[in-house]
Amino acid sequence: MRVLTALSLLALAGLLALGVSGVFPRPELPSADEVAAEWGAENVVAAIILGVRLWDTLFEILVYAMTIVGVKLGLRLLRWERPLPPVAETPLLRRSADLLLGPVVVFALYVAVSGHLGPGGGFPAGAILGTALLLLALAKGVERLSAEIHEPALEWAEYGAIVAILALAGGLLLLGRRGSGYLVAANVLIALEVAIGAWVVLHRFASSRGEV
Amino acid sequence: MEGLAAVALAIALVGVGFWTLIVRRNLIWKLLGLNVGASGAILFLVALAHRPGARPPIVGLGPGPSADPLPHALVLTAIVIDFATLALALVYVIFLTEHRHTQDVERLERDEERGWPQP
Repeated sequence: MRVLTALSLLALAGLLALGVSGVFPRPELPSADEVAAEWGAENVVAAIILGVRLWDTLFEILVYAMTIVGVKLGLRLLRWERPLPPVAETPLLRRSADLLLGPVVVFALYVAVSGHLGPGGGFPAGAILGTALLLLALAKGVERLSAEIHEPALEWAEYGAIVAILALAGGLLLLGRRGSGYLVAANVLIALEVAIGAWVVLHRFASSRGEV
Repeated sequence: MEGLAAVALAIALVGVGFWTLIVRRNLIWKLLGLNVGASGAILFLVALAHRPGARPPIVGLGPGPSADPLPHALVLTAIVIDFATLALALVYVIFLTEHRHTQDVERLERDEERGWPQP
């Protein structure tokens, strides 16, 4: 086993050295500005993530979804999820959560919608939305928030978002259509998926051990 | 110069992370070390995109060369995969803790040699 590991490590290092050594000539890449203009984006990274390297992003979304399903099923197998005692509400936390929630959600939407024009995109927007949900969970308690936002329906919305991304991206890829409208739609769907996934992971971990 | 400093910091982060991953005996600490090492890898990718005097890879931010956008796109993958690995590994640690009542690797191995104690 150790010999096998060492051999495979050596092979990996050899591949890296071969790639660096310049035996293979580098292909001529189009300039970044051209790529961005072709996809209707100003943020070149967005054009690469959702355009040129679309397969990468699609499978990344699948990895994310599989993680969430794995966490959910894995922790369900333990069978010691019990409802946590309700968190005592502190007025300060409650008020600040109420105050902050609106701006945070609006900012997340802004980051998602303008992801093709500047720094931003679906994944950061989803993380920001997940933070908003974490803030609400701190103020209200995890179980109560989970009931209030109708978690099973949300999970179906997440699966729907994944299917929609796959259909949209795959369809456009086959049709060969490009444009900024596609980038906006994909970013919003990704934000939705990442936010709900972050909430599901947070909820599972919180209800399996300890309190938030 | 900033690129070199970032590369040095990235190598230091990977070193600290892997040191923790190898030396610590607690599984949670091992996962934290893995995460710190992954941050080092992410910083290394960002440092690779650096060019002297470059602007961010956004069209219309002014003249001059732009930073290489491809490593930035790879960083996104690295972050997501890092998160996924950490979350799933934590689930397995919860399993181990529930069934074997320890997170100490050496104790787990010793127990395996002796045969698991019946709960």
